[in-house]
Amino acid sequence: MAMFSQNPVLNGPNYSFAEVPQHAVDGLREHRFNPYTDNGGSTLAIAGADFAIIAGDTRLTAGYSINTRYAPKVFKIGGSTSSQDDANILLSVVGFAADGEALKERLDAVCKMYRYRHGKPMSVSACAKRLSTILYQKRFFPYYVHAILGGLDEDGTGAVYSYDPVGSYEREQCRAGGAAASLIMPFLDNQVNFKNQYIPGSGVGHELQERERVPLPRNEVEVLVKDAFDSAVERHIEVGDGLQMMIITKDGIEERLLPLKKD
Amino acid sequence: MENEFELVEVLLGITGKDFTLIAASKAAMRGATILKASDDKTRQLNKHTLVAFSGEAGDTGMLLQFSEYIQANAQLYSMRNETDLSPTALAHYVRGELATSLRSRKPYNVNLLLGGVDPITHKPSLFWLDYLAALAPLPYAAHGYAQYYCLSILDKHHHPDMTLVQGIKVLEMCIDELKRRLPIDFKGMIVKVVTKDGIRDIEFNDDKIVKCP
Amino acid sequence: MDSLVARYSRPAAFQNETLSDDQYDDFQNDVSPSLSLKFAMPPVAQLTMSSYLHQPSAWLRAATDDRSNPNCPIKIAHGTTTLAFRFKDGIIVATDSRATAGNWIASQTVKKVIEINNCLLGTMAGGAADCQYWLAWLGMQCRLHELRHKRRISVAAASKILANLVYQYKGMGLSMGTMCAGVTPEEGPALYYIDSDGTRLAGNLFCVGSGQTFAYGVLDAEYRYDLSEEEALELGRRSILAATHRDAYSGGYINLYHVKEDGWVKHGFNDTNPIFWKTKLEKGEFTNVTSSLE
Repeated sequence: MAMFSQNPVLNGPNYSFAEVPQHAVDGLREHRFNPYTDNGGSTLAIAGADFAIIAGDTRLTAGYSINTRYAPKVFKIGGSTSSQDDANILLSVVGFAADGEALKERLDAVCKMYRYRHGKPMSVSACAKRLSTILYQKRFFPYYVHAILGGLDEDGTGAVYSYDPVGSYEREQCRAGGAAASLIMPFLDNQVNFKNQYIPGSGVGHELQERERVPLPRNEVEVLVKDAFDSAVERHIEVGDGLQMMIITKDGIEERLLPLKKD
Repeated sequence: MENEFELVEVLLGITGKDFTLIAASKAAMRGATILKASDDKTRQLNKHTLVAFSGEAGDTGMLLQFSEYIQANAQLYSMRNETDLSPTALAHYVRGELATSLRSRKPYNVNLLLGGVDPITHKPSLFWLDYLAALAPLPYAAHGYAQYYCLSILDKHHHPDMTLVQGIKVLEMCIDELKRRLPIDFKGMIVKVVTKDGIRDIEFNDDKIVKCP
Repeated sequence: MDSLVARYSRPAAFQNETLSDDQYDDFQNDVSPSLSLKFAMPPVAQLTMSSYLHQPSAWLRAATDDRSNPNCPIKIAHGTTTLAFRFKDGIIVATDSRATAGNWIASQTVKKVIEINNCLLGTMAGGAADCQYWLAWLGMQCRLHELRHKRRISVAAASKILANLVYQYKGMGLSMGTMCAGVTPEEGPALYYIDSDGTRLAGNLFCVGSGQTFAYGVLDAEYRYDLSEEEALELGRRSILAATHRDAYSGGYINLYHVKEDGWVKHGFNDTNPIFWKTKLEKGEFTNVTSSLE
C-alpha cells in the first residue's frame, strides 16, 4: 500500500497532502487532499458463555514511525457519565485513528442520548444495528475503520459483532481486525471455533468426526488473547507496546493492561 | 492477452470408457464479424490423436502455421519410425513447442485441447494446453467462456466409464447450456470422436433451439 | 413553526458547538425518525475543473474499488454465488456464505439471504453493506405499505421500490445484485432480479455473483417448473456446491430457503466440505478430483 507508507525517504512528502502537485490538462496546479491514513495496530474480540473480551494493542503508527506507545483502541460505550463506570457495551476501532475516535464519540453520544430518553441502557443488539447505520451514513465518504462491538446479549451470553468500514455486520464468536487480522484470524478459527480439529481415533479420512464446539472458559480465552498478540508482535511491525484487554461480565467491565514487546 | 472474441470460441473435450470426444464451435470470427459458419478448428495428428485449436482472433495465419507445424512433425515422426507417437507423447511435444515459442520474439497465441486413445493400451486421454504452455491431463476440459458454463455440468454428470452414447448426451447438455446463456451465436459445433479404431465425425444436430427458462 | 425553530436552534449550552447535519440527526431523529436519507459526502468539489478526481464518485472509486485500484485503502466485501428459481411449489433461494476482500476471506459465515419479512426474501451479492442496509430499508418500506394500505405489498411493488431507490444512486458507486422472492395471493410465486445499474427483471430463474455461470450450468441442465419439493431443494443445493467448487470467491456454507404461500421455510446452513465429499463418494461425481496423489 504505497499510499500509506509515509517514510519520507521512500515515498515523498510525509503528510496527508501526499500527492505531489499535479499539472492538470489545462495547466492549473492541483493539490490532491488525502483525508485518510492508516495508523496500524490490531484488535481482537472473543465471546464466551457469560462474558466477552475485546482486546487491542496500544501502538499508534504512521508509516514507519511510532507516534505513541499508548493510544487505546478499546472503549466503553454508553455509560451515564464520562467516566463510563456503568457502561454495558465495548467498542474497538482500528484503522484510521481519527475516524475511530469520531466514530466512538458519535456512538457514545447516541447511546447516552438513548439512556437519557428511555431511562435504560441500550441493548447490545440495538446498539449493533445503530452502529451499522452510523457507518452506512458515511457510505460515500467512509469511516476508514474496522469496528468490533462487544457486550452481553438479552440472555447474558457474550456477543461480538464485527463491521466492515461501511457498516455490513454480523454476530460472531470471535473476530480479529486491523493490521494483523490475517495473522490472528486463522489462529482463532482453529482455537475458538475448532476448525480443522478432529477427534483422534474417530475414523480414517472422511470418516473423522469434527471436534464439538464449546464456548471457552474465561481464563483460557485470556491466555489465547495474549498468545495471539505475542505472535502478532513477532511478525508485524505495526503491532506492539501494550495490550489493552477489556472483559465484560454481568458484574461490569474489567480492564487489564499487559506489556507487549516494544521494539 | 486474450480478447473477448477468442473467449467465445468453444472448445470442449470429454473422455469416456474407450473414447475421447472433441468438440469445437463452427464460427470463424474476426472482430465482430462471423466470416465462416462451418469452420473446422480440429486437426488430426496421427491415427489416434486429434487437436482442437483456438486463439489469435486477428491472425489466421499464426493459428494455421502452428497447427500445420505440429501436424507435419507428428506425421514426419510416424513416417520415419513407422509407428505413431502416443497422445501423451504428442501432448508433451506440443507443450515443448509452445514453451519455446513463448520465449521467442513473436509467441504463438494458441490454446488447445489434445485428445486421443493410446494405440497400445487403448486408454483414452485428454490434455488441456494454453498459450503459456501449461499442460494438464484431465478427464474433461474446456477453453474460453465455455469453461465457466460447462465445467460445473461436467463435474456433476461425467463418469470415467461412460459409453459413447452417454458421452454425447453430456456433451449435448453442455452445448445446450452454451446456446442458452452465451450472448454470441457460435454457429453450432463440429464433434469428433477418437477410439482405438481411429477418428470419425459425429453427426451433431445444430438446429436444435434452446430457450432460456 | 415550533418544530422548525426546534430544528434550527440550539439549547444555550450548545450554542458554540456545531454539529454536521447528519450528526445533528442522531439526536433529533430517533424520536420521530425522518425518512429523508442524508449521506455524508467527501470534501471534494462537485463540479469544478476537468479532472476526474474532483467527482465524489471517482474519489470513492479510488478509495474503495479494489478492481480499478488494487491498492485501495478500503476493501469492501465482494464475490458470491446466489440463486433463486420458481417452481410449482414456490421458490427456492440458495446462497453460499463467503465474503472476500481482495484475496482475503473476510468471513465464511455470511447470511446472504435477507429476511425482509415473513414472506419476502432478498439475496445479497456485491457490496455486503449496500445489500444489508437497503434490504433492511426495503423491509421498513414494506411494513409502512402494509400499515398504510392495510394489505401486504406485492413482490412487484417491493422490487420496484428497491429498483427506483438504487437508480437514484446510479453512478455513485453502490454495488448490489439482488433477487426478491415472495409468494402473494395475487401474484403466486414471484421472483425479481434487481441490480445497482437499475435493472429490474421478473423471471423464473436467476443466478447472481462471480460463481453465477457455474450455478447456471447445473441448474439449467435439470430445471423444470414441475420439479418436486425435494428435487428442487437438492438442485438448489447442488448448484451452489458446483459454484463453490469452481469459483474461488464462493464457499463456506450453503444457505437454503423455500418460499411457500404461507411464508418462507429455512432448510439449513450447512458446511460445503462434508456435502462435497458425500456427493463425490456416494454419487461418484467430481471425478476430476482425486482422493489420492498419484
